[in-house]
Amino acid sequence: MQPIRYVDALIAKYGAMGFPPYDWSRYDDAPFTPLTKTLSQCTVSMLTSGGVSRCAMPPFNPEARNDLRLDTVEADAPSGDFQIHDSYYDHSDADRDLNCIFPIDRLREMASEGEIGAVAPRLWSGFMGRIYKRQAVLEDKAPALALELKRDKVDLFVAIPA
Amino acid sequence: MGLVCRVVEEAGVPTVCVSTGRDITALVRPPRSYFVNAPMGNNFGAAGDVATQSRILRAVLALAVEARDPGLILDDVLQWPAPFAFNPAPATPEAIAKQLRK
Repeated sequence: MQPIRYVDALIAKYGAMGFPPYDWSRYDDAPFTPLTKTLSQCTVSMLTSGGVSRCAMPPFNPEARNDLRLDTVEADAPSGDFQIHDSYYDHSDADRDLNCIFPIDRLREMASEGEIGAVAPRLWSGFMGRIYKRQAVLEDKAPALALELKRDKVDLFVAIPA
Repeated sequence: MGLVCRVVEEAGVPTVCVSTGRDITALVRPPRSYFVNAPMGNNFGAAGDVATQSRILRAVLALAVEARDPGLILDDVLQWPAPFAFNPAPATPEAIAKQLRK
């Protein structure tokens, strides 16, 4: 099937509520940093925005808007020790198997088999959807995350939106 | 998330964004994107499908090695086994009130 046209669907959804069309970020170009190491030398980190938190942590607000919370996830966190709270998507599969959306077991397997150098000491969960404060992301929260990634000597960062 | 990727990449850390929303990704244009035509929340396939999860993760990491041009979107071969849709909650008066409160 053809990819779903989410932009049109979201404009229709919020238009039906009487809101003006959402002004999506649009760019004609992108920054680019070449990967200079082989994968077997790379420390890899990941980020999910799917409302995923450890069971001992507070749940994400499933209706969150402009929630800039960012949790750290230990590299050895068991994949069965997570909860998902996000009304934006159907996470019934991910509830049963976190790896559908945040493949921490698969990444650890690749590290143990030497396909990647290492799983970074910290993985990340946050930037949950419906963030309208774009400047806060661009000028504060994302640069702060980049600094933490560098502190962990991350060579490659995988972001997984939901 | 595309914006986060752009900032992290600009700071010097290579990124790959694993998207299930191709049109949104095309607008935001992260440095490297891997598109999986699956429902939101199934970026790496179905629950328990270890082989597909591993295959997609390997392809995502390979994209980081192979991409030479910024803004590339690579499409995965996955064919989701059933039709799926984006079904936002209906625009009830309660839903509108909730949006207005935020």
